[in-house]
Amino acid sequence: MYFDPAENFIHPPFAIYNWMIVAGFFTAVVLVVSLLTLLVSKGASGFGVFFTELIGMLKDVFSLSPRRIWALTRLTFMEAYRRKALAVFVVFGLLFMFAGWFMGDSKEIQPDQVKVYISFVLTAVSWLTLPVVLILACFGIPEDIRLRSIHTVVTKPARRIEIVLGRMIGVSMIGWLVLSVMSVVGYLWIVRQIPQASQELLKCRVPVHGLVSFKDREGTYGKEGINVGDIWAFRSYIEGATKSRAEWRFFNVDETMLDSEGNLRLENSFSAFRSYKGDMTRPLFYDIKLFNIENPEISYTTQPQPVNEFRSKQDIIPRKVTVDDVQYDILNDLTTKGSDKIPKGILGIEVACIDRDQYIGMARSDLFIRMPDRPFWVGYWKAIFGTALTVLLVSMIGVAASTMVKAPIAAVLTAVMYILSGKNPHQFMDQLVAGQVQGGGVLESVYRLVMHLGPSTELPANPAFTVVQIFDSILMNFLWLCKQVIPRSQYFNMSEYVANGFDVPWAYSLIPSLLVTSAFIIPCVMMGYFALRTRELESK
Amino acid sequence: MNNMTSQQRKLVYLIGIIVLLIPIIWLSLPSDGKNKPGGVLSQLRSQYELGESDLGDVDASSAAMNLVLLGMRGVAVNMLWMDLDLQKDMKRWAEMQATTESIVRLQPHYEKVWDFNGWNLAYNTSAEWDAVPDRYYWVKQGAKFLKRGVERNKRSTELLYRTGKVIEHKIGYADESIDYRRYFLSDPDPAFNKGPDPTINPEGKDNFLVGKEWFDLACESELTRPQHILDRSLFRATPARCQFDYAQSLQKDGKFGEETRAAWEQARKDWTEVYGREIYHAQIGAEESDIRLEMTEDEIKQVAGNPDDELRVRRAVDAYQKMTNYRYWRTRAFAEAEQDTAEAHRSIFEAKQAYKAQEFDNARKAALSGMEGFDKLLKRPEYAILAEEELLCEECLLGWKIWDDIYKVAGEKIPDEFPLKWLLELKQGNEQLMASVNKQFRRLFQDNR
Repeated sequence: MYFDPAENFIHPPFAIYNWMIVAGFFTAVVLVVSLLTLLVSKGASGFGVFFTELIGMLKDVFSLSPRRIWALTRLTFMEAYRRKALAVFVVFGLLFMFAGWFMGDSKEIQPDQVKVYISFVLTAVSWLTLPVVLILACFGIPEDIRLRSIHTVVTKPARRIEIVLGRMIGVSMIGWLVLSVMSVVGYLWIVRQIPQASQELLKCRVPVHGLVSFKDREGTYGKEGINVGDIWAFRSYIEGATKSRAEWRFFNVDETMLDSEGNLRLENSFSAFRSYKGDMTRPLFYDIKLFNIENPEISYTTQPQPVNEFRSKQDIIPRKVTVDDVQYDILNDLTTKGSDKIPKGILGIEVACIDRDQYIGMARSDLFIRMPDRPFWVGYWKAIFGTALTVLLVSMIGVAASTMVKAPIAAVLTAVMYILSGKNPHQFMDQLVAGQVQGGGVLESVYRLVMHLGPSTELPANPAFTVVQIFDSILMNFLWLCKQVIPRSQYFNMSEYVANGFDVPWAYSLIPSLLVTSAFIIPCVMMGYFALRTRELESK
Repeated sequence: MNNMTSQQRKLVYLIGIIVLLIPIIWLSLPSDGKNKPGGVLSQLRSQYELGESDLGDVDASSAAMNLVLLGMRGVAVNMLWMDLDLQKDMKRWAEMQATTESIVRLQPHYEKVWDFNGWNLAYNTSAEWDAVPDRYYWVKQGAKFLKRGVERNKRSTELLYRTGKVIEHKIGYADESIDYRRYFLSDPDPAFNKGPDPTINPEGKDNFLVGKEWFDLACESELTRPQHILDRSLFRATPARCQFDYAQSLQKDGKFGEETRAAWEQARKDWTEVYGREIYHAQIGAEESDIRLEMTEDEIKQVAGNPDDELRVRRAVDAYQKMTNYRYWRTRAFAEAEQDTAEAHRSIFEAKQAYKAQEFDNARKAALSGMEGFDKLLKRPEYAILAEEELLCEECLLGWKIWDDIYKVAGEKIPDEFPLKWLLELKQGNEQLMASVNKQFRRLFQDNR
């Protein structure tokens, strides 16, 4: 895999705490701004209006009627159907009818081609569904206001918060309907495209990852190994025939991690780097040492194994191993027994490169304990579930935005939010906020551009530039705030796991995406409700 | 405002549409393929060979993609190229290949796209893999990709050349060429049942001979469609040079019989009778005249017309011959046809094999025999020119290196006089040549590991 799943780990208590701070802050800002506006426009009586409205809103919130919400959901659903939202199936049909033409010859199916098929289906399904949802979510309420058909709803006992909720659920349901039909067809398409003889390539491996650290050629610990000059520094390299090692620690190792025959299955995808070519017909070799971290003398080292670059390779270690006529049990002798300092069940694994002056590269996720596989459909439907959550998120943001601004602006706003939710934009914003981007903030960058100054040129220290930097830092803090309300879609993209033959992990993908989606429910509903309640519906 | 009703306005629009359609239909009338040339657009398309089918095989999916994207093709292509670059950096080869496929569907007639991606697969991607069969797979992918490029762009001389180059140069001269050349005849992929991959080698020939066929096609195409890769004289030498490569590779493989002799004889014919008789244009006096690399005295006089121009013709021919190293290869072809030369090659080959097998006495004897053979050959005035070229000198000096090393290992005194001593003294200052000899010598050790 070309990424470390642990990057996506969210600590739920910390996430909830963070959410409460941001949501609380925004609520406070909205309330203060509303109060000030009323005070300015209505004078002292503004206080009364403010509290009456606030109490009215709270009443609405606590007197929601599922029946009315369901009626509005059905209305949204029927409206979308009449607007021919399901015409997207025509595009989908065309795409899948001819996709086979673009995807190569299925007679020569390779493991890598399976990856392309799965990626294609999951990407196509999500790219076709999301625009439909975005348009329906952003244009529904503004169209109702424009055509004044909203009056037929608001004059009924339905509350405005129920309109917002009904819209959100209705749009999401249309999205889920489209998604589920496409997913079933997509699943059948994948299975049909892969010849019967290659069906075993459709699998869901279940990995257990450990923590890795590296030792340099003198045997000193460090976070990373050697950089051999790759542009993509995902993997670190260890030098052959030296004390350089990659050391993993696997936690909670017990019998559930053994296969049905009682073996420990270690799978790796190491990379090879030669500082000289040498005998090219001879692969580079590595060995694996399993050891007890409480007593490193108790260890077992495998025979040298050839590196199988860009592919997975399994090393099957029997539970009982013999070293110098002494038999060890992996679970009883090589894992920790547990003490005050070291928890129970930790297994140490050390990887060494055998060949002198040659290097083997690895990242944390390149070595894992392989648990029994799950059927392909398990991972596939988890990935679809991730897309379903994205549909819900987009519909919530879209509906909330459409209550505040006109439909096209709401569509652009939602689309921009979605684009900015990617991994790279978030990384860039993180760097900006942390001051890691050379060239400074907005004003400083403008100054540098105009004056043709490079990003590394020192600026003169004078009061004007101090003001510029203070202004920039205020904007950066505002950016930090904005960044908190832009979702992180990297959690939702589960297709990479499935395409690479892995199950979608709960801890690194499903739980984070569920948390992110949940985090947006209350703010989006309340914002939509607040905007619709305060909006003049006569104004088009 | 006017007084027309809605229906009347619609009728007016309809008439307007029909009136405008008439010239469009007239301009774009299709040809019937026989007598009627069709409309102006059709005639112009035929005149400038701009039709999809004139450019190469028609790929329906590619044409459909381009039409569907309307004016957004450029944007889509840019995004795909960025993806390709990222996937290459991240070593996501499957995705990279899929992106390459998408790019060529959007830019099927942009030759550089085929050229760049073919090279990328054959040279860059293959080098990223560690196992030799994996490397060969990607070299093949590059060659197959370029071959498809040729099918889609029948007017491209350069893609024909590039395909030949991958098959001749990458397979024939990579560090792993011994394995690649073997795999070219017997593919490591079990799907081919130990035979060649029919897509790039349908007749199971040597890679240099297949490369030669591609270069022949490129030279044929070059007569009508110019190339911008090499000077024309060098470009047209490529088929014959492939034949030389083939003959030399047979010797490297330890084949010194009739097959090798025939290969050299064919190389001589290709060089002197085909390539040597090609016509080039040179400025002789005020006019441009046709010259050949291989010209008889009568032909020179006939082209020149007067004694002054005769000198100019000789100079022009000489300049071309120097640029293409013509005389060396001609002499080499003649020399290789001699039995003594074949024996000298055989002796050096046997010396290498014996050295690898650590049979030092046999290796020394064979190396000395080879050195004597080449010493005799290079001292003959008609073959003296061969000492100027590095390829043959490398082989001679490798023979000496083996011979010299055995003396050193045995702790014996090296004789003061030995065959090829003069060549060693002459070339000792040539660092590049000596480095190449040392590299080949080191490989004899590595093979022993």
